[in-house]
Amino acid sequence: MAQTNNATLIRREIITRLCRLYLENRLEDIDRIALEMAPRNGTQAGGNRCCIHKSRAIIKYRVMALLGFNVSDETDELESLYSYALRALSHTEPEKGVLTVVDEACTSCVKSNYVVSNLCRGCLASHCMVICPKNAITMEHGQAKIDPLKCVGCGLCKDACPYHAIIYVPIPCEESCPVKAIYRNAEGVEEIDYDKCIHCGRCMVACPFGAVMYRSQIINVLHDISKPGRQVIAMLAPAICGQFKASYAQVATAVKNLGFTDVFEVAEGAVLTAKEEARELEEILEQGQQFLTTSCCPAYVELTEKQLPALKPYVSHTPSPMRYSAEMVTQKYPEATIVFIGPCVAKQAEARRYPGIDYVMTFEELGAMMIAMKVDLQTFEAITEEEALPERRFAMSNGVLDSVAAYYKGPSLSPLVISGLHKKNIASLRRIATGKHEWNMIEVMACEGGCLAGPAGISSPEVARKLFNTQAGVVTEQPAM
Amino acid sequence: MNKMVEVSICYGTLCFVMGGAAFEMMGDKLPDDLKDKVAIKGMNCPGYCNTQEQGRPPFVMVNQKLIAGANLNKVIEFIRKEVDHGTNQ
Repeated sequence: MAQTNNATLIRREIITRLCRLYLENRLEDIDRIALEMAPRNGTQAGGNRCCIHKSRAIIKYRVMALLGFNVSDETDELESLYSYALRALSHTEPEKGVLTVVDEACTSCVKSNYVVSNLCRGCLASHCMVICPKNAITMEHGQAKIDPLKCVGCGLCKDACPYHAIIYVPIPCEESCPVKAIYRNAEGVEEIDYDKCIHCGRCMVACPFGAVMYRSQIINVLHDISKPGRQVIAMLAPAICGQFKASYAQVATAVKNLGFTDVFEVAEGAVLTAKEEARELEEILEQGQQFLTTSCCPAYVELTEKQLPALKPYVSHTPSPMRYSAEMVTQKYPEATIVFIGPCVAKQAEARRYPGIDYVMTFEELGAMMIAMKVDLQTFEAITEEEALPERRFAMSNGVLDSVAAYYKGPSLSPLVISGLHKKNIASLRRIATGKHEWNMIEVMACEGGCLAGPAGISSPEVARKLFNTQAGVVTEQPAM
Repeated sequence: MNKMVEVSICYGTLCFVMGGAAFEMMGDKLPDDLKDKVAIKGMNCPGYCNTQEQGRPPFVMVNQKLIAGANLNKVIEFIRKEVDHGTNQ
């Protein structure tokens, strides 16, 4: 799902600038980021906005999110980013919600999904006005007008218009959200309902204005790395093999050069997940339970908790590779700060629920950190790996299933792969939870194709798959769609 | 035979992260009529990213001509120009 567009690149540029300021001990200049990126008589970074002041305001809120804050928590508009940065460093526990909306950037979307175009003839019959159940349509200056505050988006007016003058204009974040967790509030600003949000990151990828941001923890990671004597361990998710044009070993060396004490491959934790899940599957089938689903995708687990409680009892109790990895790292480095690095937004929500993982970083943040520290993968000697863990396949659809099947010794498997938590697949899962079917093992991943298509990866899904196939050193099949 | 159009993609980490990853698909995305006329290779970071003067990353060279803020379409357009009017005749 990660896409390279200007909104993504601006986010990466801000992360890079933030890292640089921290590393150069110039955090007090953080309020200048907006001025530098949207200079007077410049066109960079905000050329499409109404004025530089708005561009700057939006950049400021982006930085706020990247310092770990929820944009809507702002109480004093004059509070400087430097003040936020200092608060971020003193580190208070984050409240719920990993995603936040930069509402200043939201105003470009339509106020309601149905818009009267200038094809409207202002006809005598006025079918639209008659049919509207909310009296949201009035006739003004010979054309119909929809009051966005009254419109509930039923679409009856669009169907009723004989001139096809009323059009449906999507609001991309709402359209992409599979669980209706993002909506326009009474003030006309998009708001995320954290009791519904499963952190799949689709809205973030969908928004053409980059208005949805994840709340970053990168400044806390940099801060811990800078503390003398503090051990900071990076745990790299299996999808890392699809992010750079380099082998895992090369990337691991580069990550150590960023100041991490040690690097741990999460695929090692995935070995334990696969083994334990195979054992659990044998056990529950023997006890007469009909099926088991995987539990490594945190967005899927949140889905079962928040939207599909009927499916929850079938979700495997086996800890995710991240959690197993954190246990293994803690045994070796009991005092260390443990940082999970992956392509995922939902992992941060998962990490907050379990002890042992201190921070979660994204691959694009890792890339930005390399840029800021001038660590160039090209300069590291190409290392060819002799052996690769087959559990690296956890990064792809089918891969978890294959890994579990490799250790499974029970009665014959009737597996199903659900790749991508879009509305249609969620409906299928709902049927699976309550209806009859013959599956006994179901792999579910929120992103189409698996973690390689994660929302905060560096490469687009097709590039990530290509890089993974050439570099991961494991045999993969084309993922089911 | 005509000389091939030489496309050098900066493989530096900065360019790669700031949009250069897309060039991994360069070979697959070339129009059929250009496929046998292009030689794609990587280049070490030439350092254009250190100043703002050369423009924004990612950087790609087509027959030694620098393209800043490169993307697949822009590069393909350049290649076509080189094939049609360039020094490759």
